[in-house]
Amino acid sequence: MSKGNVGRVVSVLAAVAAALAVAMPVQAQEKKIKIGVVYDLTGPFAGGGSELQYTGAKIMMDYFIKKGGVEGYQIEPIYADAQSKPDVAINEAVRLVEQEKVDMLLGFYSSAQCVPAAAKVEQLKKFMWLTTCISSAVLENRHLHYVFRPQVSGNLYGVAATDMIAHYSKSKFGKEPKDLRVAIVHEDGAYGVDVGKGDEAGSKKHGFNIVLNEGYSITAPDLSSLVTKLKRARPDVIFHTGYNPDITLLLRQAREQGLKVGAIVGQGAGYSVYDKLKEGLGNDSNYLFTIDPISIWLTNPKSLDPKLPPIIKMIGDDFEKMKPGVTKSAHIGMAASNTYLFFTEVLPRAIKKYGGIDGDALRKAALDVDLPDGGTMLGFGVKFAGQDAAMEGQNMRAFPVVTQYVDGKAVVVWPESQQMQEPVLPLPAGTTYSYK
Amino acid sequence: MQDFLDIFDIYLLEAVLNGILLGGVLALLALGLNLVFGVIDVIWICYAELIMIGMYAMFYLVSGFGVSYWLAAPLCILLVAALGALLHLLVIEPLLSAPPINQLLATGGVLFFLQSFATVVFGIDFRNIGIQLPVLGIGEMHFSYARLLAFIAALVGMVAVYIFMKKSYVGTAIRAIAQDREIMALMGVDTRRVYLITSALGGALAGLAACLLVLLYDVHPFIGLSIGPITFLICVLGGLGNFIGGFVAAFVFAEIISLGGLFSDLEWGYVLAFGFFILMMFIRPRGLLARRS
Repeated sequence: MSKGNVGRVVSVLAAVAAALAVAMPVQAQEKKIKIGVVYDLTGPFAGGGSELQYTGAKIMMDYFIKKGGVEGYQIEPIYADAQSKPDVAINEAVRLVEQEKVDMLLGFYSSAQCVPAAAKVEQLKKFMWLTTCISSAVLENRHLHYVFRPQVSGNLYGVAATDMIAHYSKSKFGKEPKDLRVAIVHEDGAYGVDVGKGDEAGSKKHGFNIVLNEGYSITAPDLSSLVTKLKRARPDVIFHTGYNPDITLLLRQAREQGLKVGAIVGQGAGYSVYDKLKEGLGNDSNYLFTIDPISIWLTNPKSLDPKLPPIIKMIGDDFEKMKPGVTKSAHIGMAASNTYLFFTEVLPRAIKKYGGIDGDALRKAALDVDLPDGGTMLGFGVKFAGQDAAMEGQNMRAFPVVTQYVDGKAVVVWPESQQMQEPVLPLPAGTTYSYK
Repeated sequence: MQDFLDIFDIYLLEAVLNGILLGGVLALLALGLNLVFGVIDVIWICYAELIMIGMYAMFYLVSGFGVSYWLAAPLCILLVAALGALLHLLVIEPLLSAPPINQLLATGGVLFFLQSFATVVFGIDFRNIGIQLPVLGIGEMHFSYARLLAFIAALVGMVAVYIFMKKSYVGTAIRAIAQDREIMALMGVDTRRVYLITSALGGALAGLAACLLVLLYDVHPFIGLSIGPITFLICVLGGLGNFIGGFVAAFVFAEIISLGGLFSDLEWGYVLAFGFFILMMFIRPRGLLARRS
């Protein structure tokens, strides 16, 4: 072999070695976490809030992808559409785990989907981070080790609703709580039933007179007999839980049939999408209530961890770019905040402290999270119930707030610690549903 | 005894009248589906989705382009009539001699196509036309003008279709084909043309339903899930292809839902209605007023 040939071989070997040297760290950096993200992008739940939740989660995913990932792990979300159907939600969850080989699942809007899907994902020993599905039935007495819900539990919605009405019973309605007539109306899925149970428990606690307690299917084409029963029962307050098309149908038929009450307290889901309420009901949407975690844009910035307000602003700016002209509803912030919480508190801890991203590492990391009030964009803190608790996996520090739509503005009216102004109670004279 | 008498109050009367108004809406929905089945012997499973397209047309014409409701309504009826004719030409006609299950599956495919089409084109948001009609108040009872309008449209539609079928030449040809499609072709009747006219008429009736339903419901790509199954059940209960049977079945069904819902939970109203349907399938499997063969 000539000197020249030797030189060429050495050069080639050196180039290969250099290439390998460059490639090795790249390979080392190619660690990634694949996240299956499941929301309803079609079907009735999509317009009822799920698509907004998806948007909130996606804004946060994109934010961390742009930042280059978390603790050396690239983030690869794989989005799936549950189509507003529980069977599709389960199939998509299984497909994401078994075929797409995701490391965990995030999202889910409807409790009717979460109840069966959570059990299935638990069997597969995959970590599941629920940004919504509030029904207690998702977690209560099920002891699911890998399913975590930073979101408020549904039974607290009824507590908030009835506490507020009891507090203002005398001063606003001029009646003792025992004389206050209340009706509980809810869609008959896991979400509505759970919130309805909370309303019932809260009403009994405060001694309200429950004059009607009834469920209905969200696909029912007619609710006129329910409205007739409400007229016959003459409630002062209606606690209503529903999604969007059924809320509009019930309230439109209530207007047409001349239902008159003192207050209509909506509880999350469709009631938290103000644009749609306004479009469907016009001015009749004025003075309606909704209950959910606080909209991240209504929280008092001074009460939050200082690093959160800039993130809230970024979410709002990104949302306006994605959906110009659409009102920033609580749904966007719920998913964004809960997704942010995962990427800042759970994932880094799992990687650094528990050495990876498998179900057990993520579970241990989630159980370690201990944030005081103000630690999340939603204003509440985080501490998950552990293995022996009936609500294992539930964030025990989460709480909802009652918001009222007053002249087109969403105003937090309960609890008093978060109150922006007192609620308008009862419905002012001259408004469509007012019994004054 | 007093408890029993207490139920005979003004609210019972309101529930009965609301049942009649709901019956009008359901009868209107069933009219076009019955016409198509009675003549062509094909079930348009996608019928509610044609109504959905019509509702979107009304929404965009009225809310988007500012067309008056009364001008938009005939345009919507024409559009859905054209869709009905197109459905026949593209999907039904090639399958006329195929087994009924193939025809059913084909229109089922159109159902999913139209749902997906609406999702992609119109989005998943609920759309509301934003027209609030006044309310008719009689004492403590209140009734929706929108439902009254649907009720009157169902009555007028029913009578118009009846007169058309009995008195016009085309109507007579349609009835003749409904009785024996093979022999009429042998006698020189252009069956293809009659089928096309019937499909357009069925579509027009779906369009008429769309014009009225858009006043009652938000439109979204999946509204067919609420109105489709119940429409189909009413047609079967009345005897598929039997207009008067469908009309009667709509009111029977609506009253069971309304009164059942008043005296028990609302959901029980639907359970009772569907239970009645199952029972009638045993007692009168060809429908309340079955068509004579």
